[in-house]
Amino acid sequence: MARTTPTYTPIRNYAIGFFLSAFLLFSDINYESFSGLRGTAKAATLYVKLSSNRFLHNIGDIFSSFQESNNLIQENTNLKEEINRIKTQNSLKNIETLQRSKMLDSFKDLVDKFDNNIDIHKIASIDLKNYLCCSSHKIFLQNPQKIQIKENLPVLAGGSFIGQTSKQYLNLIEVILFSDSNHVLPVKSDVFYCNARGMGKPLLISCSPKINIKDLGSKIGDSIYTSGLGGIFIKDTKIGFISDISMDSAGELEVIITLLGNPLKENFYGIIGNLVDET
Amino acid sequence: MKLSNYLIILISIILGFCIDTFINQFTVQLFIELNFGFLIFSYWIFAMPERFHSFIPLIYGLVIDLFFSTAFGFNMLFFVATSYVIHLYVFRFRIFSYFQLSVFFAGSSVFYIACKYLLLSPLNYSYILLIVSFLTNAILWVGIYFVMRSFRRYIFQVT
Repeated sequence: MARTTPTYTPIRNYAIGFFLSAFLLFSDINYESFSGLRGTAKAATLYVKLSSNRFLHNIGDIFSSFQESNNLIQENTNLKEEINRIKTQNSLKNIETLQRSKMLDSFKDLVDKFDNNIDIHKIASIDLKNYLCCSSHKIFLQNPQKIQIKENLPVLAGGSFIGQTSKQYLNLIEVILFSDSNHVLPVKSDVFYCNARGMGKPLLISCSPKINIKDLGSKIGDSIYTSGLGGIFIKDTKIGFISDISMDSAGELEVIITLLGNPLKENFYGIIGNLVDET
Repeated sequence: MKLSNYLIILISIILGFCIDTFINQFTVQLFIELNFGFLIFSYWIFAMPERFHSFIPLIYGLVIDLFFSTAFGFNMLFFVATSYVIHLYVFRFRIFSYFQLSVFFAGSSVFYIACKYLLLSPLNYSYILLIVSFLTNAILWVGIYFVMRSFRRYIFQVT
């Protein structure tokens, strides 16, 4: 007696599909072969979303123009946005001034490069689902003027560095955040240097200084600064503080750092040191 | 089946993934990851196995990967594999109770989530999330089953 119902499911086509998909997945995970295609698709989706939002916003404006109160609300929103923009610009200027006075000798060339090279961009989208659950922490910034942005430029928000530019799709700039698990940032405290890797969790990065826990001398709450060793971020800018110190399973010291710049709270981002001419 | 029907099915799956993207950003903090998109896809294979063999799941997976995934090929791989497994046991599923179906599809869904975390985000892999997601997806399957069945009967005019 048959133990199962007869079915006809030839495995050949499934096997071809399976191995093809596995090959694509392998090449994308290991070599990021399709990151450009995926980024363009994502940017196109965002572009359509922003355009439709703008369209709906314009329709809303037509209706609200008949109501004075709505106009006032709109004006209030615009003023708030303007205040945010000015705040970001001020914090950028403060950091610039501070850095310029601190390291005029050691990083003179780098500081000179940043003169008049700060672009302010409004956020287009944050991949919130991945930001809250997964390793990939990226944001997209609007770039309506289609300014050519170089890769790996420092990005500021809320008075602190939050990440660096990675790619550009259509009118959008992709920014990889420090908390992305693929991002490595050379940092230092008063007593150690290390390369901090994103933990794939909001606002958290971690590093393993090659010193004993007794010699560490740091404690929870101590400030963490950029070390400037990567040549991208200016030295001695505060980016966070130590929030936990522990030993991992391999017996290595692990320092957890909480970042200052919170991308969920910022609307405007500054990209500094873009030396490519505008198109 | 007409091309428009395949498109309707694709749109329903895309809608499922959109709902996932919207809801999971809130529920993931409660260790719940809902999997509407995958369950809707599984439902279509389960309900109309004769219409979906290896090629259509591959194309559906490609589209979903393009717009929703962080790695190309992930959904393609799982859609083809799930399609094969469902085809193997499709007649046996006909005599399964709702509870047994829920367990099977919630299990597949959790396997999908587990592989997603292991491959794409190993730092966030969590057994609590898998267990809680299994229970929520089992409940979710029952809802999806009835809603999608009504939808299928409406679209394909089954009496």
